[in-house]
Amino acid sequence: MFKKAKKLVKDFGLSEIRAGMKITAKQLVTDKITVQFPEERTPISPRFRGLHALRRYPNGEERCIACKLCEAVCPANAITIESEVSDDGTRRTTQYDIDLFKCIFCGFCEEACPVDAIVETHIFDYAFESREGSIIDKEGLLAIGDENEKAINKARLEDSKYR
Amino acid sequence: MVDIEIEIDGNLVHGHSGESIISIADREGIDIPRFCYHKKLSVAANCRMCLVDVEGNPKPQPACSTPASAGMRVHTNNEKAKASQKAVMEFLLINHPLDCPICDQGGECELQDVAMEYGSDVSKFNEGKRIVADKGIGALIQTDMTRCIHCTRCVRFGAEVAGIVEMGATGRGEELKIEPFLSEGIQSELSGNMIDVCPVGALTSKPFRYEVRSWQMSSVESVARHDLVGSNVFTQTHKGKVKRVVARDNESVNETWISDRDRFSYEGLANDNRALTPKIKVKGEWQEASWEVALEVATSGIKNATEASFGALASKNATLEELYLLQKLTRGLGSENLDTRLDVANPSSASALETNVSLAELEAIDHALIVNSYLRLEQPMINHRIRKATLQGAKVSTVNAKAFDFNYRIANSVLSAPQNTVATLSGVLKVLLEANSQALPDYLKGVKVDQAQIDIANVLSAAENAVVVLGEQVNSNPCADQVAKLVTQIAKASNSKTLNASATGNTLAAEKVSFKPNGGLNAGQMFTANLNAFVLLDVYPTFDCVDSVAAIENLSRDDAFVVALNSFEDEAVLSFADVILPVASFYETSGTHINIDNVAQSYGASVKAAGDSKPGWKVLKVLADLLELPGFDYTDSPQVADDALSLSPNVATSEVDIIAMEVPNVATVWQYTPYASDVLTRHAQSLQQTQIGQVSEATVSEATAKILELSQGDLYKGVPVNINETVAEGCVFVHTNQARQR
Repeated sequence: MFKKAKKLVKDFGLSEIRAGMKITAKQLVTDKITVQFPEERTPISPRFRGLHALRRYPNGEERCIACKLCEAVCPANAITIESEVSDDGTRRTTQYDIDLFKCIFCGFCEEACPVDAIVETHIFDYAFESREGSIIDKEGLLAIGDENEKAINKARLEDSKYR
Repeated sequence: MVDIEIEIDGNLVHGHSGESIISIADREGIDIPRFCYHKKLSVAANCRMCLVDVEGNPKPQPACSTPASAGMRVHTNNEKAKASQKAVMEFLLINHPLDCPICDQGGECELQDVAMEYGSDVSKFNEGKRIVADKGIGALIQTDMTRCIHCTRCVRFGAEVAGIVEMGATGRGEELKIEPFLSEGIQSELSGNMIDVCPVGALTSKPFRYEVRSWQMSSVESVARHDLVGSNVFTQTHKGKVKRVVARDNESVNETWISDRDRFSYEGLANDNRALTPKIKVKGEWQEASWEVALEVATSGIKNATEASFGALASKNATLEELYLLQKLTRGLGSENLDTRLDVANPSSASALETNVSLAELEAIDHALIVNSYLRLEQPMINHRIRKATLQGAKVSTVNAKAFDFNYRIANSVLSAPQNTVATLSGVLKVLLEANSQALPDYLKGVKVDQAQIDIANVLSAAENAVVVLGEQVNSNPCADQVAKLVTQIAKASNSKTLNASATGNTLAAEKVSFKPNGGLNAGQMFTANLNAFVLLDVYPTFDCVDSVAAIENLSRDDAFVVALNSFEDEAVLSFADVILPVASFYETSGTHINIDNVAQSYGASVKAAGDSKPGWKVLKVLADLLELPGFDYTDSPQVADDALSLSPNVATSEVDIIAMEVPNVATVWQYTPYASDVLTRHAQSLQQTQIGQVSEATVSEATAKILELSQGDLYKGVPVNINETVAEGCVFVHTNQARQR
């Protein structure tokens, strides 16, 4: 009998709604944590492992020397490299493909690279319009590197004191 | 040799008195790091990496140069040994660049392995490293001498095994450099082995440079079939292509070495000139066709020919299986016209000279008589065994058309033009028989003997363990059978062994399956007999046939139907063939090679055949099935090999009479460079760029040049003339990489 009366008061007194509105009212005046992506972005660790890039030296020379250590260390077999003797007698790649569908973004390629040529950038928002699009070739990787060299350099500099 | 017992790391092991600690340890599987020590080379003890602690010695001792003595107690990994190994490693790495990522040796490098195992993580060395400028040393070996650690293995290899001292150490201390003495580069026919012995990346393979890393390749056991030895090799493959060939140890065949021809010929496989698709000729135009259509055309063409007008010719480098199936097919069709002796001026039914000496026995000979052979280039591994014997004091005599550049001293040399060779050898035989007070056969009675022949006969009869080697230049001689018979007689009279090196490649397999006319037409006769159908197995008449012009003319007849099983495209073949069936080349097919020791070595295919081509034995099997011949129910090549090996040669042979044959005043000896000897090597570009590969000269003496009205630089059969006196009178010695001309 008493229980029934208590329930009636609770139901018709809108107590749940008042509790909910209390939270809403509280949130109205606190700082927001939602980020308006893509206009706004969350901060990223300098070690973040996103889309790959191939870097160049400041004089424009490709860093990659086709040692194929990244290809060997890649646990997902995502990297394919072909090499040859270039015109100036140095060891160069003729093909450097990364299949982003295979890649698990472990960063081993970056760790294995003796010349810091292959790096993982902070780019994580990319899409492909076709199936073949998942394979980025050497030109594509170099273009990403050229475009983001400043950011790549900055991230490496920030991380250098912890390595 | 006393058996002694020593203790290494607490294990009791046995060795011979005087044996080095390292060789006992190697046999027992105890690991001692080393760079300069190599089991087949002399001990230099200059790298100091193999320092071990020998109890009772205040200082660590090099295991490679310290002889074991009874009761010796050796420690390879106690504190003292480890400290010295670490110290030596640090010194060795002082000047070694840290360029492993771009070094082709990376991943298979002895220095890398030993540094990982015995070296230190950090170096105390902060000063500048030494840099050495590279001199090019030829088309086969790439040098990066900054990486050199001065182990001198290559220097010792050149001096001790190749027999040509080409590399040497110049300067002292910091200035010490390993470099070739001459600027022309390395000329040895065994030079590629320097790549194998180099423990670091200072000497690497040039054609292989920067293509693949060692860990990407799979190694497949195979056999090289360019010569009579059948050197054991590993073919290293990547993505279905042969990327490199390296030596495989087999003490009884090739020890640890292989010739450059075996090592670098694989380059030809990737040549653009490969035959990749079946083709048929329709109204004089070539059309690509499917295998079914091409085989159908081939079958109907062969069926149109009568039994006696069918002929089969095969390359000497074909596998046992291919030769067996082609002879079975030919004999199944009722024809006896088959041969491999395309380069023999006068192929006959006489039995070939018997080989009754083994490779191992060659090392123990005390005299060798080399007849009509530039053995060093023709059969590098056989020559290497003879050279080993000369290092033990064996003497070598030659009867050749030219004074060749052997890698050992020639005691007696007789220059003899082909037309005089029978007379020269008769003289030698006469002296031998007279010394034995045996009756002279009629043909020797009128023979005059000069001092050179007496000298050769005397050393031969004085030798206890002699061998007479007959080389491939005899093939240019119309009297080849008589020369072979005289060699047999000389060997008999002097109690010597004989070695027949006149036909190379897989010739012994051809002998085994009787790939010879048994009453039918031989290679020479087939081109004059107007046959109606031919099957050619990897035959390229412009290079292979002794009279290429006549052969091509004959094959081009309208009523000659030619089925060519080719691994390479060839203009001449395209001009006369009616069907081209592309077949697998070396390393692309399973097969069997029979070597000079009569050992049948079978091997599997290392890679898939290029393009649409198929292994030759499969093509021949299907062709036989389509021709409705019985007995071709094979499903794999070992079945074919089993059948082939159970055969015994069954060809009637005729006796040779030694009579004066009509010979021209001036004869030609035609010899290809070793890198033009078969179709694969001819397409291997790096081999063609070597000094040996580029030789093309017709050497002639001044007097003979006058008769022929030749002067220096003229062309003789398309080959530039070089007049000097190293060649026999009445003879033009053509050594070339160019196709034969009339």
